[in-house]
Amino acid sequence: MLEVKNASKVYGEGDTKVVALNNVSLQVNKGDFIAVMGPSGSGKSTLLNVIGGLDRLSGGEVVLDGKRIDNLDENALVEIRRGKIAYVFQQYHLLSSLTAIENVFLPLLFCGANRESLDKAMGILKVVGLENRAKHKPSQLSGGEQQRVAIARAIVNNPSLILADEPTGNMDQETGAEILSLFDQLNTQGRSIIMVTHSPEVAKHAREIIFLKDGQIVDRVEQKGRI
Amino acid sequence: MKLYHLVLKDILRRKKRVLYAALGIVIAAMTVVGILTIATAGQAKIYSQLEKYGANLNVVPAISNVDMRLGDLSMGALMVGENYIPEAKLPEIRQIADGEIRKALGIKDDVDIATIAPKLYVNTKVKGTSLLVVGVEPKEERKIKTWWKIQEGKYLEERDQALLGAQTAQLLKLNIGDKISFNGSDATVTGILEETGSSDDYQIFVPMQTLQTAFNKEGVVSSVDIRALCNACPVEIIADSINQNITGVRALAVKQVAETEMGMMDKMNKFMLALAGITLVIGAFGVVNTMMTSVHERIKDIGIMRAVGASRRQIIKAFIYEAVIIGIVGGIFGYLAGTLVAYGVGPLVFEGTAINYVPQYLPLSLLLAIFVAVVSTAYPAFRATTVKVSDSFRSL
Repeated sequence: MLEVKNASKVYGEGDTKVVALNNVSLQVNKGDFIAVMGPSGSGKSTLLNVIGGLDRLSGGEVVLDGKRIDNLDENALVEIRRGKIAYVFQQYHLLSSLTAIENVFLPLLFCGANRESLDKAMGILKVVGLENRAKHKPSQLSGGEQQRVAIARAIVNNPSLILADEPTGNMDQETGAEILSLFDQLNTQGRSIIMVTHSPEVAKHAREIIFLKDGQIVDRVEQKGRI
Repeated sequence: MKLYHLVLKDILRRKKRVLYAALGIVIAAMTVVGILTIATAGQAKIYSQLEKYGANLNVVPAISNVDMRLGDLSMGALMVGENYIPEAKLPEIRQIADGEIRKALGIKDDVDIATIAPKLYVNTKVKGTSLLVVGVEPKEERKIKTWWKIQEGKYLEERDQALLGAQTAQLLKLNIGDKISFNGSDATVTGILEETGSSDDYQIFVPMQTLQTAFNKEGVVSSVDIRALCNACPVEIIADSINQNITGVRALAVKQVAETEMGMMDKMNKFMLALAGITLVIGAFGVVNTMMTSVHERIKDIGIMRAVGASRRQIIKAFIYEAVIIGIVGGIFGYLAGTLVAYGVGPLVFEGTAINYVPQYLPLSLLLAIFVAVVSTAYPAFRATTVKVSDSFRSL
């Protein structure tokens, strides 16, 4: 469903030139769970950003469901973000002035909410086990809870691909495990996941692990007997 | 829940920040409303001062001098025409004067607008001294001669009363309650005017009817003063119209005075508007600054909203909703603050002027505030949406 072809990304020019991605190719099928690992600055986050259109490629292509999306204009990208690709960030990136339920509701609002939308948001919040915390603001929630709100927000529009940038990076092991089991659950429901992580433990959940170094794929490991 | 609900909730949870953003608007609106309120009070004061200039129009009987010549020999001049204006023509004069003013100002109702003060002049002897006795309509005369002050006694109220000019009272040694007689009629002195420095000081004023009866001049007057003070009163058009439509009279615009009045008003208005305009521009810059900061602070929020599917238009719309709310808050408080400032500063600018709040400036203040807020928000909001989402997360 998603194909990255010879993707490269260069920041800056001349002496300050940084090659963040160098000729990266990658294929994601429906229901795939891919972990992206590598040292800091190896281009992991950049890869996620260019896949989702949060950043622009310097070269190469990103093809989603047979259509190039790397060269789309902003308005067309909006359509992709409304239901095809969703994000989960390490920093959660919730709107601090809104409650949990309102944060989950937000994507529905932007693509034209109706009367049932609030119920739908509440239903999703239930899926992540936070129906009792719906009226709390992010500052009143723990890190794990905030991330669950962020996951609920990501899946409320039923995306086929979830891009997760170190979703458990700010958590202790136990909380991280809870979050990962949520991802596993989403994956078994047929959603594709690309997850950037530092942790080999986390990567064990993936079907395939891609190792990046200096913007290049240096290794790929398929995990048949994953957790 | 709709987008504006979201904005409203967001604002309510960030009260302090929103109030801070509104502060710039409050100050801009306050200054403009303050200046305009003071200017309005100043105008009222200038109007009342200008009223002391008296009539704008003078209607006199049409008398023409015809030279009598026989060859090269002049045989003097012959006066042709009546010396008086029939009172029956007063309603026609009023109709023309009010009609032209209504036309010029777009007034619909038909109350009397202009003040029309007829006068009858009779030269006669009072206590052996020859002087001018003037028959007036007491109410109208008072409206035209706003500068008259009563030194002693009271103003004319009924028939057979007389009001003396200051010099007249002194020369004839007359006091309140004394009786004077002219052409066999009697009148009681009820009031003495303060000195005016004009010919009024040497005259005696009695009600019109009293004088008409005494000299058998029923139904006629010597001249008519018309006062039509307003910024755009077409004094000369009224004069022309009277000359064309009413026979036997000649109307003269007291042009100089009228032009001075309008000129002063005009300069005053232009100055105040310029001042308010400059203030608005300076204020708008301050507002743009605060709004830009307020938008910039939320670059990350904008990035989040875009990442979850907000379009540029939706984000700009959300900021415009916010700007409208800030504009409403700023406009209301700006109006209140500006009015307060006017009450405090106004009397210092125009000595002793009573300041009145002007309700019409509230909608003006609101419109102004909303306009400035929206304009100064739209641009930074648009700019903010052009930032790459990935950069917006890095920015904070």
